[in-house]
Amino acid sequence: MESVTIDVRGLTKEFHEKSRGTIRAVDAIDFTCSAGEIFGLLGANGAGKTTTLRMLSTILEPTAGTALMQGFDIREDPENVRRILGFYSSTTALYPRLTARETIGFFGRINGYSPDKIVSRVEYLIQRFGIVDYADVRVDKLSQGMKQKVSLARTVAHDPPILIFDEPTVGLDVLNALEMQEVIREFREEGKTIIFSTHIMSEAERLCNRIAIIHQGKLLACDTLEALRRETGKRYLEDIFVHYAGHKEDVVWA
Amino acid sequence: MKFSEIFVLYQREIRSALRERSIVVNSFLIPLFMYPILLWVMFTGMTFIRGQEERFDSHVVIHGLPRQHAAFADTLNQIERLQLRIDHGTDSSDIRNVEAVRDGVIDAFLNIDSGSDSSESLVPMRISVAFNESREKSVIARDRILDGIRRYRTGVLTEASHHLGITPVEWNVFTIRSENTATSVQMGRFLLGLLLPLFFIIMVSIGCMHPAVDTTAGERERKTWETLMSSAVSRINIVIAKYWYVATFGCIAGVLNLAAMMFSIRGIMAPLLSGSGSEIVFSISLSSIPLLILGAILLSGFIAAGMMLFASFATTFKEGQSMVTPFYMLTILPAIFIGQPDIDFSLGLAVVPVVNVAMMVREAIMGSYQWDLIGVTVVVSLFFIALSSIIARFILQFEDVIIGSYSGSLISLLKERYFGRGSREPNRRV
Repeated sequence: MESVTIDVRGLTKEFHEKSRGTIRAVDAIDFTCSAGEIFGLLGANGAGKTTTLRMLSTILEPTAGTALMQGFDIREDPENVRRILGFYSSTTALYPRLTARETIGFFGRINGYSPDKIVSRVEYLIQRFGIVDYADVRVDKLSQGMKQKVSLARTVAHDPPILIFDEPTVGLDVLNALEMQEVIREFREEGKTIIFSTHIMSEAERLCNRIAIIHQGKLLACDTLEALRRETGKRYLEDIFVHYAGHKEDVVWA
Repeated sequence: MKFSEIFVLYQREIRSALRERSIVVNSFLIPLFMYPILLWVMFTGMTFIRGQEERFDSHVVIHGLPRQHAAFADTLNQIERLQLRIDHGTDSSDIRNVEAVRDGVIDAFLNIDSGSDSSESLVPMRISVAFNESREKSVIARDRILDGIRRYRTGVLTEASHHLGITPVEWNVFTIRSENTATSVQMGRFLLGLLLPLFFIIMVSIGCMHPAVDTTAGERERKTWETLMSSAVSRINIVIAKYWYVATFGCIAGVLNLAAMMFSIRGIMAPLLSGSGSEIVFSISLSSIPLLILGAILLSGFIAAGMMLFASFATTFKEGQSMVTPFYMLTILPAIFIGQPDIDFSLGLAVVPVVNVAMMVREAIMGSYQWDLIGVTVVVSLFFIALSSIIARFILQFEDVIIGSYSGSLISLLKERYFGRGSREPNRRV
């Protein structure tokens, strides 16, 4: 492992709802991630994964605590934080009326990639993700699999050192999901720091160097899969999760 | 504020919008073609209907005509398309004839009461005209009869005065001749000034409406909002780029509509003017063009800011439309007053947003430049644009708004955050 690139300290998020009052969606969580690591956030629906990742990507502001992303504080310096990260989730769609090439170029530019190099960067990503044949086709004309590739290219258009994937395989078929996992692995090989949230145990087992189990906003455990197995005496991640999160019936899976 | 960043965002908005059929239709095609075509159809239709009306036969029954006024029936019979029937029945037939008018069997009924059966030649007549105002044919019949009565009375008076040795000039006492001193160009500008500001306001509003909803609520619905919010640009630059985009489309819609109306107005008005014998020249002074463009910029600047303010709460296109519609109605309301020719551009009107710009446009078309009022209009418009932009920026710094809470309602935000029970300070993020 290399140096720590993400340092999360007491990160907390409260929402206020008229009917339910104050809800603590994320409750003082701490963890660190290093370059060349895939850090998995594993939790059931409503556990606080998406809220955590939205705070790290500065879409939401923490109620308390903070995080340093390559030294930039998410509260103090959100624009610089966004410049060094790529955020991918099922809620980050593409502009339907732009072509794949325009999409990648646009996101590269607004994320601060050098204007002199943007054209060659776009060409590189078009080649890398195999979207040459439909680079000039409008996004709304693309298939789901093609959109996924363009979306990945959009995420890394500015070559960020930190990548956040929020349940990236939701809604994908098996082949596309496997392809997505393969791409994430490649990003790790390139030395990027990756935070990956999922509720699919097998995905976390296959991809993550370390896994954090999050339940009802609290971080219950955070270690390598092997260490978690040793700690709990359980073989399968699902059992490990239940060991920490409580009884099986308390956990609502998707 | 970083202009290079804003330009990239603005360029993206424009590019996307130009590829969206509904935006192109609403912001470009409707201003160019819809109102000129609609007006042409309306005026042509009016002329056609008037022509049809003139071809109706009016069936009129007359009762109680004294023999001394038998010539009255001749006068009525001379009226084109008036079919007269004289009823010699008793008084009870009056009720039957009135009912016939009510039922549409006949178009009008004239009941004449001459008082006594005098043998004098100038027997006074009290004429009652029964007609049915809910039937256009009956109204036309009444007008034809009144025209006949006027003609007959003039004839009777002329003859009587002749017997008394009085000439028509003497019993008329004075004659009136009015003269319209307006040139054909002035008349053209007057008509343009009445018509164009009205459509100008509507078109700028329509031009802004679709882009404003599309760039806020539309983004949320398509889930591109979060993609944009997770990028490295500052939120204020996003707001500015979106605002410029909406204002640009509103401004283009306004200018296109003004141009289209000016070029097509002669053809539009031709059906109405064809029979009037008036020679009207529809043209505007070249010096008024910069003022018209300034008007388009100011109006679109204000309307764009207002619409974005409301649409920024919406999470779906439908919500956005329903949020923006009341503001749209509010902006086009002044158009009703501006159509009145007797309203003058005054200091009072110069401080009312939308009205002031519309009045400035009207005056510019008519070739009148009141620079003090134009100055007030510019200052007031810029003030309201700045105010709306500050409010929009203030609202968009709340993350609740950014992630699309409050179901598209500004009132919900105010109630829940500021005025409701247990209201609290919202989280902010710039």
